[in-house]
Amino acid sequence: MAKNLSGDLQVASANRLVDGMVVWLDEAGQWTDRLEHAAVARDKRGAEILLERARAEAFTVVDPFLVAVTEDDDGTVEPLSLREKIRASGLTFEAIAADAVRNA
Amino acid sequence: MRCAMPDTHFYKYDDYDRTLVSERVDQFRDQVRCRLAGELTEEQFKPLRLHNGLYLQLHAYMLRIAIPYGTLSSRQLRKLADISRQYDRGYGHFTTRQNLQLNWIKLEEAPDALAALAEVDMHAMQTSGNCIRNVTADHYAGAAIDEIEDPRIWAEIVRQWSTLHPEFTFLPRKFKIAITGSPNDRAAVRVHDIGLRLWRNEQGEVGFEVIVGGGLGRTPMIGKTLRAFLPKDELLAYLESTLRVYNRYGRRDNLYKARIKILVHEVGVEKMRDEVEAEYAANRDGALRLPPATIEAIARQFAPPTLPPRLVISGDVEAQRLDDRDFALWLKSNVAPHRVPGYAIVTASLKPAGSPPGDASAAQMEGVADIAEAYSQAELRVSHEQNLIFPHVAVEDLPRVYRELAVLGFAEANVGKITDIIACPGLDYCALANARSIPVAQRISNHFASLARQHDIGDLKIKISGCINACGHHHVGHIGILGVDKNGVELYQISLGGDVDFGRTAIGSILGPAVTADKVVETVDAIVATYLEARREGERFVDTYRRIGAQPFKEKVYGSL
Repeated sequence: MAKNLSGDLQVASANRLVDGMVVWLDEAGQWTDRLEHAAVARDKRGAEILLERARAEAFTVVDPFLVAVTEDDDGTVEPLSLREKIRASGLTFEAIAADAVRNA
Repeated sequence: MRCAMPDTHFYKYDDYDRTLVSERVDQFRDQVRCRLAGELTEEQFKPLRLHNGLYLQLHAYMLRIAIPYGTLSSRQLRKLADISRQYDRGYGHFTTRQNLQLNWIKLEEAPDALAALAEVDMHAMQTSGNCIRNVTADHYAGAAIDEIEDPRIWAEIVRQWSTLHPEFTFLPRKFKIAITGSPNDRAAVRVHDIGLRLWRNEQGEVGFEVIVGGGLGRTPMIGKTLRAFLPKDELLAYLESTLRVYNRYGRRDNLYKARIKILVHEVGVEKMRDEVEAEYAANRDGALRLPPATIEAIARQFAPPTLPPRLVISGDVEAQRLDDRDFALWLKSNVAPHRVPGYAIVTASLKPAGSPPGDASAAQMEGVADIAEAYSQAELRVSHEQNLIFPHVAVEDLPRVYRELAVLGFAEANVGKITDIIACPGLDYCALANARSIPVAQRISNHFASLARQHDIGDLKIKISGCINACGHHHVGHIGILGVDKNGVELYQISLGGDVDFGRTAIGSILGPAVTADKVVETVDAIVATYLEARREGERFVDTYRRIGAQPFKEKVYGSL
């Protein structure tokens, strides 16, 4: 499917104050930990408004900012940059489990 | 200076230390409460949390815990395991500054984690901010056969002097001090803001060579000798004078030019020396000139453990050496001579094939603590190469220690070899990084996993950083790998010939154009192949590189890509 790679599409992200977890602002102005629920701004003015809303809702998060994303025809949103992909998807390798003893 | 009863083999907190740390925890608890209640903005709160070692990274808060001069008791390591399990995801990352980082701390629980740390006389102060950071030291300290004096005595004195030092809490930039007491530098003293090297002069006196202005990062520099020989009891006054000159003249207008290395480079070491000596002349006989009794009281706490006589040559060890090739290799690479006959220093490799370098699970930390209690006087060291050290192991016990480490996955016979890779957390965790480090290290580690091949290649240090801040020390890797971002693509710049050995300290030279992530292993393979073809008998990788230069490596790498 075709992707919108123009960089015009943006979502607002931040880290949650209590635990630092990655969150995005949804259409209702709530912070969600699910990227698929993020509100997408489709032009420059929309992005400005989204960032203003994010800052207005910043009581429970740290330093909101805009993230450039792509969107598939089916509406699936994905960040453009590797940094934001990692923020959205987590570590790119398997971390050690608490009770792991390797090679045991 | 404060002294406690010498009931451990390293400094034990007294009431003053405990009160200071405990009050700091209470203070931070209140600051966190204010932040969560909205009484403090992030702008107001950020410096407060950073002063307590709490960073906000890509996915979560990260707590950087200070391990002064890399020395830990088994009890402390057990508590770190507890904390990682209770307040984090059950693992931690040992860093190139001998600290431990926990990557998934919740802000609301951070004060409880700090309170738990305080129970074992630990904290996270001065692991961030423009202050004097945790003082690092030789990880063989107190056990090394080549040691002139235990550098931790002085590291502890510096720790006490620098902790919450009001004049040096807001320096132009962060300030890192490393100390070695051996001629074979294992503390990388020439690439620190101040490096201190204990040595004995022709009169038989032991004092410090004071080295200033080393560092890695954006502008790597090798430190220069500020004072060739400084009497030990003058150390604090001299350090204070040096920091005062830096505080006065160090640049505050440009973050990238604020480290002392830039000041030394810009004014020259002679001018720097003049300024420091003038300051020192006015201060040398003040309160910072420590009385011998104070120094001796601190030194007594680092008195070596009484090690009962043990066999110098063990039949069990020799038999297993013959029967078990991996054990024989482990003895060669992971076991170092101890100053007491019948004992050895053992390095637990936190670099098993394909693992994130320097990471240990809570269960592994507890297993290491068990081994330390059974075989190493309940003592441990953390190395800047991201491994754990048992400083006092009886030679007879080596087969048992090897077996128990193997259960933990920490018996890889690769210390100093190509898979003993230093790597920063990189873009998987770090808000400053441009590229990933750990997955690159894992791929190289898997590719060179064969121990026989690693030992054939010999000593070869690969160091990987995910950005120019160089937490992975790539500038001083025999092979240095720096991750960069070019138009959204991770590229890796390769440098060769870096070294931290004393007298041969060198910054590596960039080999050529950066390579893509999928070509890094191939590139390292080509570099190693070039070395193997060109090396002479007994020649290490870095020696061959120095002899033949970069050209054969370039031809092999860029001809083959």
